[in-house]
Amino acid sequence: MTWTIVRKEILANLLSYKFYVVILLAAVLVATSFFIMTRDYKERLADYSLIRPKPGEPIAVNPPNPLSIFAKGLDEAMARSFEVGPTGISVRAGQKSGNTVFAFFPTPDFLYIVRVVLSLVALLFGFDQVSREKEAGTLRQMLANQTSRSTILIGKWAGNFLSLAVPFLLVTTLGIAVLGLDPDIRFSSDQVLRLGLILALTLVYIAFFLSLGILISTLTRRASSSIVILLFIWALLVFILPNLGTLVARQVVDVPSVRALSEKREQVWTREILLRIKGQGDMPSHIRSISAENDALEADYRVKFDRLVNLSKNINRISPVASFVYAVTEIAGTGIGEEGAFKGEVVRYKNAVLGKRLASPDLKSSEYPAFLYRYRPLGRVLVRGALFDTAWLAAFGILFFALSYLAFVRYDVR
Amino acid sequence: MTDTKPILKADDLSKRYEDGVLAVDHLNLNIYPGEVYCLLGANGAGKTTTINLFLNFIPPTTGTCFINGIDVTKDPLEAKKYIAFVSENVMLYGNFTARQNLDFFAKLGGKTDLAKNDYYQVMRRVSLQEKAFDQRVKNFSKGMRQKLGIAIAVIKDAPGILLDEPTSGLDPKAATEFLEIMAELKKEGKAILMSTHDIFRAKEIGDRVGIMREGRLVMERTREELQHEDLNKIYIDYMKSAEAPAA
Repeated sequence: MTWTIVRKEILANLLSYKFYVVILLAAVLVATSFFIMTRDYKERLADYSLIRPKPGEPIAVNPPNPLSIFAKGLDEAMARSFEVGPTGISVRAGQKSGNTVFAFFPTPDFLYIVRVVLSLVALLFGFDQVSREKEAGTLRQMLANQTSRSTILIGKWAGNFLSLAVPFLLVTTLGIAVLGLDPDIRFSSDQVLRLGLILALTLVYIAFFLSLGILISTLTRRASSSIVILLFIWALLVFILPNLGTLVARQVVDVPSVRALSEKREQVWTREILLRIKGQGDMPSHIRSISAENDALEADYRVKFDRLVNLSKNINRISPVASFVYAVTEIAGTGIGEEGAFKGEVVRYKNAVLGKRLASPDLKSSEYPAFLYRYRPLGRVLVRGALFDTAWLAAFGILFFALSYLAFVRYDVR
Repeated sequence: MTDTKPILKADDLSKRYEDGVLAVDHLNLNIYPGEVYCLLGANGAGKTTTINLFLNFIPPTTGTCFINGIDVTKDPLEAKKYIAFVSENVMLYGNFTARQNLDFFAKLGGKTDLAKNDYYQVMRRVSLQEKAFDQRVKNFSKGMRQKLGIAIAVIKDAPGILLDEPTSGLDPKAATEFLEIMAELKKEGKAILMSTHDIFRAKEIGDRVGIMREGRLVMERTREELQHEDLNKIYIDYMKSAEAPAA
């Protein structure tokens, strides 16, 4: 019986112009996103080949991550050039996106398309599922048979989920296959696995918004009321709540500004230079002292900054959309956790270079170790938060579906 | 008639809505195989509420509805196996063809092994034009939609049929064709409960006719009794007495 309803929903979608408009829109957006982001990635890759250090140069530069085509996240920040100087790290621009329009509009990566557009599309599939059938009178006709309300609801959910997920997956897979033909874009087997997980997570995201759409549809008697309420909730979930956490957390956690931190570093540097001029201590001990104090300042800043970030993330998780963004960017290796791990690795590299420099002052600049950043293993990424965010998103989807069942059981079909 | 078990039975059935309106008031009804029961009454008399109670769309305040001996409230899914329903405005999926609609509702009604020809046969039986079989329903007239609604009821082959003002808005030809199909279904032994405003057709097709007023069944006549009485006059008298101020 459930399959009968699933088939009916799929057929109804296939016969509706709404379906084709929506799928065409999704296809155009995904294709455009892949095109723009591939260009962006290639430009950054070209920049990387120009700025990449020569063997033995004490510079830490990470190549752009090919998964940033799908979720750019903090990849640009991670792809900057970190040069180890006599006393610390100088950050240079690194590979920057050549597209200045990105400064005015959000980066149109796959994550953005899914987060904003696909969520709206999923709501469009769900918003009138019950109220429209009630208005049309077909709900009465269905329930006059030996069909339970749970069967109808599950059938509707599954039918619409398949109607949306299958074409979307086909379009996306086709796009990825085309990307795979590009010789400049190389995905490792680990990245292919990560990409698979991102697509799976996208399905969980679609399921969440579809459940939300059906829930509101079961709580309203008219499809027109349903769409108005859903648009409000959508704006709240996608735009307002995920930014609220950052604003609230800033009021609670006091983090020094980057400028203050840099001034403190300069004070340390000036103090040590003055001490050196006065003839107190040798140069290596001053360098060690500057490095140690800078590391302590950085560590202190990092603790406060991490506290701010964690609080922001937790508040933002009121909206499962934020959980989706966190999970996707972490899996792609462009998330906050990965950036933190990367910075830690840069500091370790700096200490290794300085240690070597102090141990053998005559060392040639071409004899320093090369910087190589290895992304955190997928298992660790999942355990460190991506799995929780996925479960959180899925839990909301299940909760909304359960609530829509409860509402539908009491729904007046007359 | 009374030796056999009723297919449709309302036992001391009452329904009071949340706003206090008593829509059905201690209704007792037995409809047997091969019998057409016509329920007459003004708007708000309780006819549609009675049908909604049989379909378990709303719970009764007191009393019970039985379909083929099954308590509708206790086991609605089992009870609905034995009932088919045609509403006043048969609303189907406009983008589906007649056959696609029929196929969907037949499957919901438990008929999963029907072939294309079976659908065509049923549609021919309800006098739907051949050219309409594979046309989208959104272009159908009301009469055509009603015929398709009856086809859905026919294909389910349930022993009981509930009809909620099925001839309302139909042209005389379509209404006559409808009554012919009802007569055939009656011959097949179906128990039919039809709510209607149409006194003329109620007299023509009904084995028994009941008049509802303010939720109560205020009059019931058999076909034989109505041969000697003017149903139109009886109905109008009952309606007038309802409008008259209380003594």
